[in-house]
Amino acid sequence: MEQCEAALLRRCRTGDKEAFGVIVRSYAGRAVGAASLLLGSHEDAQDASQEAFVRAWRHIRRFDPARPFYPWFAAILRNVCVSRLRRRSRLKTARFDDIHSSAAEQSSPVLLAERNERRDRVWQAILALSPMHREIIVMNHFQGMTYRQMADALDVPIGTVMSRLHNARLSLRKELADQEHEL
Amino acid sequence: MSCDDFRPLITGYLDGELSAEQRARFEEHVRACEQCGQELAELRKLKEELTMMKFEEPSDAELERYWQSVYNRLERGIGWVLFSVGAIIVLCYGGFKLVEEVVRDPGVTVLLKVGVVALVFGTVILFVSLLRERLAVSKVDKYAREVKR
Repeated sequence: MEQCEAALLRRCRTGDKEAFGVIVRSYAGRAVGAASLLLGSHEDAQDASQEAFVRAWRHIRRFDPARPFYPWFAAILRNVCVSRLRRRSRLKTARFDDIHSSAAEQSSPVLLAERNERRDRVWQAILALSPMHREIIVMNHFQGMTYRQMADALDVPIGTVMSRLHNARLSLRKELADQEHEL
Repeated sequence: MSCDDFRPLITGYLDGELSAEQRARFEEHVRACEQCGQELAELRKLKEELTMMKFEEPSDAELERYWQSVYNRLERGIGWVLFSVGAIIVLCYGGFKLVEEVVRDPGVTVLLKVGVVALVFGTVILFVSLLRERLAVSKVDKYAREVKR
């Protein structure tokens, strides 16, 4: 698959849109799902992920085709989503974690495969996290990124990734415990 | 080292991201510390739950629609670039011709000539200034930087 992807990416660098179409189809599901968790809206997620693919295409010549595509794309997708959240909150200079994400609570887990009551609750608990914790959970668990890849995407040291992910998981555990308490 | 020092390592341990030395020290601590052992077990369970959650794969028809939308955007992007370049050329040429005509026309008052020249040059200065600002911002914009990696 990696060799196949590298060959496709080399074709993309020569302007082959059909090759890019294969890449887009391969990652569309993951991209829309991740954006949906970050933005809390399926419509926004469709639009943002498509915008991220267009940006990726425009800069594909700068990308080394020997490297995996998705971590590079995930960083672009994350930036598109952050820009949209900032625009939505009208706090363009605010720290990412300060951005209010009220729309997040309206999203339902329709994008999940093999849904059950527990997984729906975990989805809602993820959406209730702060944007900073939510994004690291999404990157690690739903986009399969390594610590190195997350550190590159977030422009922070690996130690920060580890502590942020740890705090995010603790927050998620607390959120789930609170939900169970309310039931 | 106290539990507070070891706790952040729980996540790295679960994800297999610790060095051999960190891992050995962590395992030694967890064997002796019931609290950290319990936290490790709880977070392992949470991680397993999250690992089980997957996004549903879109159908072929959905993927085709999705790709068509992306493709349309790619095409429109080229269209916008050509449109912008064309508009700039036409506006510059039109501005130049307007200035030339007004300045050479003896029937136009000096005040109007000055006004038209100022209007055209002001527009050019504003456009160049905005363009320069946009270029400067794009060089330091950390959100644009990712795509250059």
